[in-house]
Amino acid sequence: MTLAQQFAGIKRDLDQQGIIFSFSGYLSEGILYSLGEALREKMTLEEADGPTVRRVFSVFVEQMQNIIRYSAEKVTGAAGRPVELSAGMVTIGMEAGKVFIVCGNAVRDGDVARLKERLDHLRSLDRDGIKTYYREQLREAPDDDSRGATIGLIEIARRASEPIEYDFTPLADERSFFCLKARI
Amino acid sequence: MTMPSLKIAATGRTPEVDFDFPNGVLRLAGESYPDDVATFFGPLLTALRSFLAESPATPLRFDMELLYFNSSSAKALMNILQMLETAARGGRPVTVAWCYEEDDESMRELGEDFAEDLDSVSFLLKEVPVSGVR
Repeated sequence: MTLAQQFAGIKRDLDQQGIIFSFSGYLSEGILYSLGEALREKMTLEEADGPTVRRVFSVFVEQMQNIIRYSAEKVTGAAGRPVELSAGMVTIGMEAGKVFIVCGNAVRDGDVARLKERLDHLRSLDRDGIKTYYREQLREAPDDDSRGATIGLIEIARRASEPIEYDFTPLADERSFFCLKARI
Repeated sequence: MTMPSLKIAATGRTPEVDFDFPNGVLRLAGESYPDDVATFFGPLLTALRSFLAESPATPLRFDMELLYFNSSSAKALMNILQMLETAARGGRPVTVAWCYEEDDESMRELGEDFAEDLDSVSFLLKEVPVSGVR
C-alpha cells in the first residue's frame, strides 16, 4: 500500500463515521484554544444557531480540560518554562443529525471505580436531577485532588441532549483507556 | 474611597474586566475559560474583598455579561456572588444584573442556578439582544 493509499484509507474511515475533527496525541491548553476556534468557525459556517454552537463548545472545553488535567499519560519538563503535556484524543462528528464529542485518555486503574460511580450517578438523573446536582456541587468546595471544579462532568451531562455514554478498556501498566461520548 | 478601578482587557479566553470601584459598578463581559482559573480570578477576588472591607456601604452593582464560562470559572463566579451576598446582608445595597442573549436558554438557567441562595442581593435576569458575536 502506498503512503497516499494508506492515509486516504484513514481519512475515508473517519469521513464515513461522520467525523469532522479528530485529534490524537499530546494536548495542551493552546491546542484546546485553536481546535475550539476551528470548531466554532466550522459550525458557524454551517449556520448552526448560537446556543447549539455554545453547547457543543462547552462540552468540548470540559472534555479537553478533563484530558489535560486528569490523563494518566503525561510528559513534564521545563524547556525555558514548565511544560506539561497530557496524551489523549478528542473526536467531533455528526451522527443522525446530532453533533457528538468523544474524548479518550488513559486513567489509573485505581481511579476507575470512583469515575464509574460518578458517571453512573449522572446517567441515573433526569434533566431536573442534573440541574439540582449542579446547584449542589456549585456550592461545594472542589475535591482535594481536583485541579478544577468538580462540576465539569455535570456540565457535560447538562449540555448533552441524551444521557452520556462511557466505557473503559484495560491498558498495560495498571491503566485503562477511558472514553466518554456526549451528543448535543 | 481610595480603591482604584481594576480594568483588564479581554483576551480570546478571558473576559473584559471593568471593576469601577469609585462608582460601585463591576462588570465582566465576554468569555471565560482561562487555562488557569486561579491566576486569572485570584486578583479580582482579592481586589473585591479589599474594596468591600474598606469602602463605606454605598450601593454596588455587578453586570454579569459573560456569553460563555467553563465549569472552573463557574466556581470563581460563585465566589464573587457569595461575597456580594455577604455585603448585602451587612446592609450594602447590591444589584446583580445577569445578562443573557435572548435565545440562550442555558445562560438564563445558569442565572437561576446562581441566584438560588442570593437573598439580600437584588438579582435581575436581563435579556439582551443577540450581539452577533458568536
